[in-house]
Formats: sequence, C-alpha cells, structure tokens
Amino acid sequence: MAAANEPGPSRNNEEKEKEKDERMFECNICLDTARDAVVSLCGHLFCWPCLHQWLETRPNRQVCPVCKAAISKEKVIPLYGRGSTKQEDPRNKVPPRPPGQRSEPENNGGFPGFGFGDGGFHMSFGIGAFPFGFFTSTFNFGEPRPSAAPRGTPQFEEEQFVSKVFLWVAIMFVCWLLMA
Amino acid sequence: MATKKKPSSDQGSSSSALDSSRWEVSCFWERRLQKELMSLMKEPPPGVTVDAEGAGQNLTQWIIQMDGAQGTLYEGEQFQLQFKFSPKYPFDSPEVTFIGPNIPVHPHVYSNGHICLSILTEDWSPALSVQSVCLSIVSMLSSCKEKKRPPDNSFYVKTCNKNPKKTKWWYHDDSV
Repeated sequence: MAAANEPGPSRNNEEKEKEKDERMFECNICLDTARDAVVSLCGHLFCWPCLHQWLETRPNRQVCPVCKAAISKEKVIPLYGRGSTKQEDPRNKVPPRPPGQRSEPENNGGFPGFGFGDGGFHMSFGIGAFPFGFFTSTFNFGEPRPSAAPRGTPQFEEEQFVSKVFLWVAIMFVCWLLMA
Repeated sequence: MATKKKPSSDQGSSSSALDSSRWEVSCFWERRLQKELMSLMKEPPPGVTVDAEGAGQNLTQWIIQMDGAQGTLYEGEQFQLQFKFSPKYPFDSPEVTFIGPNIPVHPHVYSNGHICLSILTEDWSPALSVQSVCLSIVSMLSSCKEKKRPPDNSFYVKTCNKNPKKTKWWYHDDSV
C-alpha cells in the first residue's frame, strides 16, 4: 500500500473514530490497541512485540494464542494504517530477529498427530487396507489359517499379527511422508 | 521484551488514567492485570466475584469467590480460588489453586486444592485471561457426574510440590 503520508483533512474526526474502534483493534495479548500491529493468517490481531514474545516463549510449538493454528514470523502480515507515520515493517524492529531459521510448523502443529496417538493411526488405516491383505497372505505361510484349532483363539493371534503389520505400514507411511 | 517502557512515577490506577497513559505504567504484566481486574469487576461471569481490594493492593495474587452453578452437583457451595501471577504473565500461565475450607470434591481437583486442567500449564495461551480460566473451572465443575477425588489423591497430595505448575500433569480426560 503506497498510501500518501499527508495528514487527514479532519484530525478530530479521525481521533473520534479511533476511540470508537479502539476495542475492536485490541491486541489479543496485552489487551491494548495493537501497536506495530500484525495479523495472523487465521485473522487474529496482535502487537508485534507481544506476538514475538509469545513465539519466543514456545519456539517449538508456535501456535496462535487465540485459535491455536500454526503461526510463525513469516506467516504474519504487518498492518499499515493510513494514520501510521512510518511504513516500516513492524517485524523488523523492536525485538531482535529470532535466532536461526526454523522450518515452518506443519499445518496442524506438526508431529504430535503422527505419534501413535489417535490421528495418525486412523489415517493410515484407509491407505493400509490393501497392503495389509497382501502382507498377511505373504507372511502367513507357516500356519494353516482357517483351522488353527489347538491355539484356542486364533483370532487373537491374528489380531496381534495384524497390528504388527499395521505398525509397520504406519512406519513406512511416515517414512514415505518424510522423504516426499 | 524490548518494548519502550518508561519508568514513571504515576502508575495509573483509575481506568481513564490507564487509557490515556498507555506507556507510562512501568510493567507490561501489571498493566494487563489492571485491565483484567477492571473488566472482571465491571462484568464478572455469573457466580464469580473477585476480591478487588486485595487484588488492587497486590496485583500478583488474587482471591476469587466462586459459587457452584445452579442445577449442578455443586449448587449452593462456595469455593475460593487463588491466582498467583509471575512477572512473565501473560506469557506464563497463572498458578491457580482452590484454597480455604471448601475444596470441591471433583475427579480433577486434589484435596490440597491443585487442579488438573490443561489450560493451566501446557495449553495456556496469552489470549486466555482470569475470566476465561474461571469460566473453564466453573464448567469443569458443572460437567461433573459424580463427586469423588482423583484416584491417586492421597499419594499425590503427599508427594507433590507446593506449586501445581511444577507437577507434570498427565491429561487424559478430554470430555471436560
């Protein structure tokens, strides 16, 4: 926005408007009108100094304080109001630049979803359905499957086996994801 | 935080002073706590009252009265919550415990007043406030189906640190 810097024709009016809108433009962290304002991609407004400090507080888990969406220095947009005197990127001033370059977080905050928690496992279920049939038929050569009477509960055994195969498929899937 | 803060003698205590002298108040966290105190006094959530005098004198430690919500197992009961704030607030979560004679009997509240609630430690966010923490605790109490202590209560109470934030909580119940 290459807006001209000339002062508005009615400063008084501007002041009034500002007061009225003040609450709408409060920083979600300091609860004051946002200064050196930046907005996240999820639409939440902060002072850059406030947000910067939050990002520094948890460098490994950078999430939006309001909605917990992934957020990073590169993914916030500086806001330049017409009234502001300097059109300088707020991210370049006040706090020192974050040390080192971090890779940006994954869409949903990264790895926790891929552990053996709920999310990742369910996902590989659908994709792994076909290979799992393939593996069972390949690896199951020793045991006669339909009968298997002496073992008591063959289903139990098989379930264990299947779960191992699943784990394997999941690991392969994750590896593939990392390589791709 | 490297903001431009001017140490000054007049620390605004009325709300109008706060609004006008934005950068005159010495500490970021004091300023924010003042704001929260104002809004909590002006429009408190139902059943919640803050001891404004005590909090006004010492901003780092608030006592909040909380009534058990109507139609829940805690109806008619009164509880006291203690909030302690560090200078890192709001980037660091407040230390919140139940104090006083009546500690609610709840599966997530230990008999020493410690509360197992994820937003008080790892899920804390600076966009949360005293008000939203109070609301979370009220709703945590309200959703209770059976009054009982946590299963590991006696062990925990014997071995825990005084500060609940030092406990490595293991959150398992997402239903609350």
